[in-house]
Amino acid sequence: MKKHLISHEPKVVSLPDEKFSFKNLLKDIFLTEIISGLGLTLSSLFKKPVTKQYPHEKKEAKQGFRGLHALARRPDTGLAKCVGCGLCAAICPSKCITIYTYEDVNHDKIVDRYELDILRCVFCSFCVEACPYGAIVMTRHYEYASYSKEALFMTKEKLLKNWDDYMSDEDALVYFKKYWGPREEDFVGHEGQAVFRNNK
Amino acid sequence: MDIKQMPAIDKDTLKSENLVLNMGPHHPATHGVMRLLLELDGETVVKCTPYVGYLHRGVEKLAEDMTYLRALPLTDRLDYISSMTHNQGYCYAVETLLGVEVPVRAKFIRTMVCEMSRIASHLLWIATHALDIGAMTVFLYAFKEREFILEQFEALCGARLTVTYPRIGGVRNDVSQEFIDSVYDFTNYFPSKVDEYERLIDRNRIWFKRTRGIGVITAEEAVNYGLTGAALRGSGVNYDIRKLFPYDAYDSVDFDVPIGTHGDVYDRYRCRMEELRQSNRIIRQCIERLPKGAIMTKDAPKVTLPSKKKVLTSMESMIHHFMVITKGPINCPKGEVYVATEAPKGELGFYFISDGEGKPYRMRVRAPSFVHIAALPKLCEGGLVADVISNIGSIDIVLGECDR
Ligand code: SF4
Ligand code: SF4
Repeated sequence: MKKHLISHEPKVVSLPDEKFSFKNLLKDIFLTEIISGLGLTLSSLFKKPVTKQYPHEKKEAKQGFRGLHALARRPDTGLAKCVGCGLCAAICPSKCITIYTYEDVNHDKIVDRYELDILRCVFCSFCVEACPYGAIVMTRHYEYASYSKEALFMTKEKLLKNWDDYMSDEDALVYFKKYWGPREEDFVGHEGQAVFRNNK
Repeated sequence: MDIKQMPAIDKDTLKSENLVLNMGPHHPATHGVMRLLLELDGETVVKCTPYVGYLHRGVEKLAEDMTYLRALPLTDRLDYISSMTHNQGYCYAVETLLGVEVPVRAKFIRTMVCEMSRIASHLLWIATHALDIGAMTVFLYAFKEREFILEQFEALCGARLTVTYPRIGGVRNDVSQEFIDSVYDFTNYFPSKVDEYERLIDRNRIWFKRTRGIGVITAEEAVNYGLTGAALRGSGVNYDIRKLFPYDAYDSVDFDVPIGTHGDVYDRYRCRMEELRQSNRIIRQCIERLPKGAIMTKDAPKVTLPSKKKVLTSMESMIHHFMVITKGPINCPKGEVYVATEAPKGELGFYFISDGEGKPYRMRVRAPSFVHIAALPKLCEGGLVADVISNIGSIDIVLGECDR
């Protein structure tokens, strides 16, 4: 470590005490600094505005934005990829995921219900990271305010619909790289399990 | 009765009482929900009693029931204005407890994003502080640059405020070249923006009158009250954890610690404005020296989540993945640790007691805002009511962190 860079000499930034002077008195009377500040404001009158008129002018969220959740579909069967391992529910800090599974006649584990209470979610995307199959993702969709609680209580069907509605191939790739497989750039997915979509 | 027949008022028996004024909890200048009980004698504050706790969510208690990784988003919500630094402080504390070494690249990235977060926090501070005192233009100008930083955060990790970006053992995902380019570009023009804000208020006579000589606290008193951060440095104490106990990459970047001399609102303001420039310097250096390499430590498979490739191909990693998520870090050492970092508001400390499980037995947050509020009576008493606003602004508090 480069210890020599550390200088413990502080930098004094306070202004010296003001003495009474004729100049200061003039400044007090004519408020010259305020006029200089006003000049700045005036000059920015001719600059392009930076504000957006929100409901009319929408701002698209960046790729990889942590918005509404979606459950991924298997490319081959079109069913949800989720296998009901429960890791997403285990890591969720706000405990908003509930998974109900049962065993069918072939002794397969079937995910019966997958419920996600968006109103409790803190959008940390830990569920996405924890999922070993890349079965739950987040989308760029962020405008889903509603008057009813039911609309924000996500069931498996709604989450699958979100996948169809809000997830594009391009986005899926970004999410896949960024959150799901954050530390293996060269990793392209595992047969049938880990690919989000048919990414060429 | 005729007025002339009324008995004359005896001046000695006339009593005057102090007026008790509730400031807050919904006062816009309290930057959250804090209540100040002010006892006024005319315009002068005789006594000031802060009441806190309106935003209490039991973060410390909640963390006791969560694994170390799972509790990380809670720290976002302490100081929601600069969640990066709070994530970093938390991760750094857990890393110290578990003995995890972070890769150099991750250290630089963390330092960079934390300084960006500091800039965002200070910009919000100057915006609201100036707004409280009556200078509205600064508010609008500062938000422009803050918006840029938040947008970069959005591109980096998908969220603007509650980022959850640093991780125990590194950071969540690597920075893209695009991100680095735009941030570097930002560092080129940002100092001129700081000059712009200063041009609006720095030598402004009204600003002088509202801030100079107001809320004076001497160096000795500031230390006794436990003030940290710019509130302490404004009184002339050269105390910056980034310098004294360097963490992450702070020992390999060069920056100055600004201090004031008078300990008034104005000097605290000057310190923070200079910190904006210094943070800008740090970001530049971090980008220039950003080394290549891993962003997540590979030496601690029992603490960090393994990569997905390993999870799907190796049995051991799969077990670790399940264990780390459900039970927390495997084979945690027992013991306790206190680690302090320099958050924009002051010294942010995390204290952990570990009993060997994957969860903290006790987590305690030493929040700078909480300590700073305790010094408010000292700053306000004897001053005017109008100066209470400047004082609250100058110690830069955020109630999410204070009440926890
Ligand atoms: S984003 Fe976080 S809070 Fe929301 S469901 Fe996933 S793990 Fe839970
Ligand atoms: S979404 Fe993923 S982590 Fe959650 S139960 Fe399904 S497979 Fe497991």
